[in-house]
Amino acid sequence: MGLCVSAFGLAVVALAFRATTRSESSEATVRPDLPLAKAAVPARLFPAQAAMPPALKPQQVPIELLLLQIENHVRLEQAAAESFIEFPTQALLRGKTTSPFVN
Amino acid sequence: MIYELLTGLTSAEVERVLELGARMIVPSGAQLFRLGGAADRLFLTTRGRIRLTLPMQIRGQEEDILAEEISAGQTVGWSAMIPPYLFTLTATAAVEAEVIAVPRQALHEYFAANPATGCKITQNLAAVIGHRLHLFQTMWLREMQRAVEVRSA
Repeated sequence: MGLCVSAFGLAVVALAFRATTRSESSEATVRPDLPLAKAAVPARLFPAQAAMPPALKPQQVPIELLLLQIENHVRLEQAAAESFIEFPTQALLRGKTTSPFVN
Repeated sequence: MIYELLTGLTSAEVERVLELGARMIVPSGAQLFRLGGAADRLFLTTRGRIRLTLPMQIRGQEEDILAEEISAGQTVGWSAMIPPYLFTLTATAAVEAEVIAVPRQALHEYFAANPATGCKITQNLAAVIGHRLHLFQTMWLREMQRAVEVRSA
């Protein structure tokens, strides 16, 4: 009797396992027909940037924040230009600031 | 207070030149002059800060973008001394500011009567304008350098 129950249990497990693997394989066969979102995205040097949600993309920055960034950029560039005027060297002329507009 | 435009003048000369002008209080956020306006006076900043801005189109609307900030002792509105006597920037008080507005006509008459002082002031004015030119020339070159790097990358 115990042997029968064990055999039955084993059969149920086997059927369940088969059903699971079949659904996975059928998914695998369906997948190529579905639009491949990742394949559609062109290869990028910085994938993290590509995955950036629209709300954080530069063109979506609130105008107040954008104006502050521009003002900050102007101040940094002016300071860099002042340094160059005081000590005119190639290095100071090309030196980068921390402005997000140039990084 | 040491005004950059009056550097090298004796205290009597400074006093005389300041008497040509009129003290003005510019409340925070108020405009001292606007881009394109007739420039018949230049301003010596006594206290506060003046924002010099240029208009820029951002997302379809015009915004005043900071070009330079002027603080106490500095000169604003030297377009009043250079033809065609039109302001090329907009000046707005960043905080309440006090300026001495000196009319061009009064300055010209004073220069005619006191050429030595006029020469010193004109040299100081050239230094102010020259510094602005160097500053903007450098800023322009830095932006051009970056534009070239982006295009040739």
